[in-house]
Amino acid sequence: MSNASAEVAADFRDALQDLKINSRPEISNLTIIAKENTEHAQAISHELENHIRTTRPEWKLPALYVLDSIVKNVGTPYTVFLGRNLYRTFMDAYMVMDPANRRAMDGLLKTWKQPVPESMDTNPVFSPEVTRDIENALIKIRTVTVQQQAMAQRTPHGLPPRPASNPMASGAWRNTPTPPQGGPRHAAPNDPRVRHNFPTPNNYGQLPVATPPSQVPTPQPPVTSIDLESLKADLAKLIASTRGAWEATPTDLALAQKLKALMDLQTVLNTQTIPPQQLQAIRTQIQALSPPPPPVQTYVPPIATTPQPFIPSPQQAAPPSLPPASGGFNLAQLLAQARPPVAQTPTPTQPTLSLADLLRRVSSPGQMSSTPVAAAPFPPPPHFPPVPQPVATPTPAPAPTLTPTTNLAQLLAQMTKSGSAPPPQVPQLPQLPTQPPAGSSAPGATDWLLNALKGVPQMATTGVLPQSTPTASTPMTRQASGMTAVPNSVELTTASMKQPRFHLIARLYGAKPNICATCGRRFENSAEGKEKKARHMDWHFRVKDPDATKRGIHRSWYISEKEWIEYREVDESAPDTANSAKAAAVTLKKDPKEQYVHVPADAARDAPCPICLEKFDSNLKWHTDANDFVWMDAVNVNGKVYHATCWDEYSKGAGIPAPSTPDPVLGKRKADIGTPVSGKKVRAY
Amino acid sequence: MASLPGLNLAAASAEPANLTSTSTETRQQDLAANTEYRFEVSFSRTLTIRLRTGTAEFFGTELGPSTTYSFKGTKGAIYTWHGCSLEIGGEAESEYVAEETTMMSYANAHFALEDLRDKAMQSNEAGPRVLVVGPDNSGKTSLVRILTSYALKMERQPVVVNLDPREGMLSVPGSLTASAFSGILDVEEGWGSSPISGPSPIPVKMPLGYHYGLGNPEEGKLYKPLVTRMALAVLSRLEEDKASKHTGFIIDTPGSISHGKGGVYENIDHIVSEFSGTCGVCFVGKLLTISVNIIFVLGSERLYSDLSRKYGHRSEDPISVVRLDKSGGCVDRDEAYMKHFRQNQIHNYFFGTDAENTLAPYSLVADIGDLTIFRLAESSAVDPSFRPGDDDDDVYAASKNIYEKVNPSSAMQNSLLAVTTASPKDPQEVIRDASVQGYIYLIEVDETKKKVRVLVPQPGQLPPNALVLGSFPEVVPDLLN
Repeated sequence: MSNASAEVAADFRDALQDLKINSRPEISNLTIIAKENTEHAQAISHELENHIRTTRPEWKLPALYVLDSIVKNVGTPYTVFLGRNLYRTFMDAYMVMDPANRRAMDGLLKTWKQPVPESMDTNPVFSPEVTRDIENALIKIRTVTVQQQAMAQRTPHGLPPRPASNPMASGAWRNTPTPPQGGPRHAAPNDPRVRHNFPTPNNYGQLPVATPPSQVPTPQPPVTSIDLESLKADLAKLIASTRGAWEATPTDLALAQKLKALMDLQTVLNTQTIPPQQLQAIRTQIQALSPPPPPVQTYVPPIATTPQPFIPSPQQAAPPSLPPASGGFNLAQLLAQARPPVAQTPTPTQPTLSLADLLRRVSSPGQMSSTPVAAAPFPPPPHFPPVPQPVATPTPAPAPTLTPTTNLAQLLAQMTKSGSAPPPQVPQLPQLPTQPPAGSSAPGATDWLLNALKGVPQMATTGVLPQSTPTASTPMTRQASGMTAVPNSVELTTASMKQPRFHLIARLYGAKPNICATCGRRFENSAEGKEKKARHMDWHFRVKDPDATKRGIHRSWYISEKEWIEYREVDESAPDTANSAKAAAVTLKKDPKEQYVHVPADAARDAPCPICLEKFDSNLKWHTDANDFVWMDAVNVNGKVYHATCWDEYSKGAGIPAPSTPDPVLGKRKADIGTPVSGKKVRAY
Repeated sequence: MASLPGLNLAAASAEPANLTSTSTETRQQDLAANTEYRFEVSFSRTLTIRLRTGTAEFFGTELGPSTTYSFKGTKGAIYTWHGCSLEIGGEAESEYVAEETTMMSYANAHFALEDLRDKAMQSNEAGPRVLVVGPDNSGKTSLVRILTSYALKMERQPVVVNLDPREGMLSVPGSLTASAFSGILDVEEGWGSSPISGPSPIPVKMPLGYHYGLGNPEEGKLYKPLVTRMALAVLSRLEEDKASKHTGFIIDTPGSISHGKGGVYENIDHIVSEFSGTCGVCFVGKLLTISVNIIFVLGSERLYSDLSRKYGHRSEDPISVVRLDKSGGCVDRDEAYMKHFRQNQIHNYFFGTDAENTLAPYSLVADIGDLTIFRLAESSAVDPSFRPGDDDDDVYAASKNIYEKVNPSSAMQNSLLAVTTASPKDPQEVIRDASVQGYIYLIEVDETKKKVRVLVPQPGQLPPNALVLGSFPEVVPDLLN
């Protein structure tokens, strides 16, 4: 899944790179990509944010329109992913825009506060929390700017397209203390979106079919059904990303445990009624675990209603981003505060109600109302018997550093009180770095979960992902099973068969992420795997013969016992050379007429026999044993294909078995050899 | 199709076209992780399934994301480890989503085998040799397919041995076959296809076949010698073929041998002893040291208990007897379905499976004297004096009247003849032990003109080999309609 995401994201990025003007078809196109790949929403959102952050200022606006189009036409889950970072995405772009574009952005923001036009949904595009913070920041900026300009102060700030450096622009700016409402060319009413053209993708199943796309989780009453739904959606995403990481690292037992713990949590959420406070706590925890670390002040639901002291107030986390509106305001300073807010945000998890604690509470029936929901889509939380785990020795933690809230490693470290670690440089990573909490196991479901979640995260401090070790030469799965033979070995007993070992499934899937779309065969993501896949795809192409039925294909006789014992399966993804070498070796003893070579894949197919200078077209035949098209009566000698009969005669006549190079014999004709005759179409098989 | 000599197949080709055009609208089916979508499709309808998102597998073989698979006359299940969304078209007789599956235990079984294969690679020994037993409709073939598919995903090359004559593997019913598998299995066609004269969208498999000609291994005295023969061939292949040797083999068996008589499982014993030719010498002249070392028992507690008592604690060559739960998706297949299934397999042998890859068999007119048909002797069909396989020499020696030579008669019309690799002049044991070259179908016997019209899979002369006629599978009256 992670690699599929990466592929989709790469495509999306490529398409984004070309977007330099406000082009309606291009934006629609990108929207469609996003719409058709909602399962990769996280990767796409990340790509989009990244692009908006890094592209040149004059290209930011079209990209923002893509964002706008996606959230309005597709809605969830993009609103969730993009909403999380929207403040930063928006403000970073806003800071470097020229006034005209800023006005366009103001218009954009305005539409985000409203429901999607022509939709039945009354919720705004983004939740008020998201937009309010941006608005507050904008008001402050405007106030400051107006003040500055009123005082004719010129504060250098080092941002190139700063409007103040442009008298015309600042004049215009001064004249519009409040943003124009829909006046600019790019404002929302004229923007290039065709909202009603996109049917609503009902990705999470919680919306009725007719509901318009922009379902934004509204966290206002702390516990509403929609809150629960959004929580579930977040959890689902977290599971997806964790699973992605885990599939990339199938050998990572700890990650598998974490995944299982999260899935258990999902089951609990789905099957039991959970009191509001615990929901809040779970939500906080999930957000803390969710990648990537954003300045999520606006995303955390207000928790004023909950008496739980351990829940971090988002407002506490937020303040540094809004500087006082007094004079001497420095945009750069604002930027600095807005950009890496992670480092300054206080940790929300004072060792409090941890996820595992929560789970324990939830799954112990005496403590709370654990009424199973009637139509629970999932079975009750499965009981995981203690699986023998490797007890990893925790490496000593390096010097403790400031802990960002959203780093899983930090969280986990705090839970274990085993010291903290600097965060890996996550912003560029589309998903959670795979911190493997290699916890030891303990009996009981909740204890197991607890352990799974609190394992030792120090490996993350190196920033080296565990999956960076596979070699290209040996199949990863085998190597993996060799490395982790002890924990992964499955005892061959009746009882052992019943133990869930979901982490092993990655050896069937994640270990070979490169899937053939036609037949589902998987290949490794190594150079060798890619070569194999290329040959495999070539083979697919070759066997797709539209004329096959016309030529009267029939069932062949089975081979005899002896032939069967000597027969070796031909893997279509195996290197061709091995095949033809083997085929040549086998057939050499036979009648020359029976010898064959596989039809070369390239232009060499047009090369004639160097001896008689006739082409091989008439010798083309489907060869059952080889399962490929071959040239009959052909032999491959030192890389050149001859008619087997020609070669037979030649080598007999010459009295030498095989010259080191046949070229001298044919020297004068060499110009003819290997030069495809122009005008002759190369036939594709 | 019309150009086929002697055959009017216009009706046959028009039929599938009608069926495929009936269903155009599709519906979406979302599956949570670790659940499966079970369906039954009749032979007259087509169900199409396409993977929209996520991952899904059909008996262990992963669905390609861009391929629409169509199923006909199938009872199967699409399982997902990670959750998926399917696009389903057409009509199923029954369909539902099951949350409780046995896939985890089957996957565990696979990974347990993988551990043994890794060890076998390191020590260059034979990989796990698996025997799957269980009552009828307990999912034996499904388990074998899943284990095979998973082994293929690991780039192994398992040899699969089908000892269940009721369902052909890469062949027609009534046959016993073995084949090494590489690449991938076909989703739609079960085990895939034996070689054809043209390109195949899925790599063809190369089966070795013997003709049994009866439906139940408990009847007649052919089963054990054929198992012996098959074991020799498979063990020889394993000796020679490193890739298969390290992967080992998986044996699928008919349910009837698992019923037992008073706790004695004659045929299981025979299979185990024959596929452990510790003292036999194989065709290539090497001493065989390979034996069945794992038995998976599906479902039946009693069978498990009996077998583990017998094999689990042997001092030499202990066999791991492991019980696996029967999947809740196993459905009873009634005789009507099985008959249809068999006729379908025979049809597919001659005509191919789908509309795009229709095969073109040929019909020949031959003199009655050209066919030398050996019919399983009636007397041998029930022979209570037959003794278990511990005295194999008797079996070989005492089989003078395995077959009776018969002339084609109109009563044999529409039946299937196995073309053996033996000559009609060979002794009957040789004919019995000869592998099968293919099958021909008696279209018509004109006793007055002394002519027969037969359907042969490929053009050319009818091989002058011995032909074997069994009572199973039954006649297929409408093969050409």
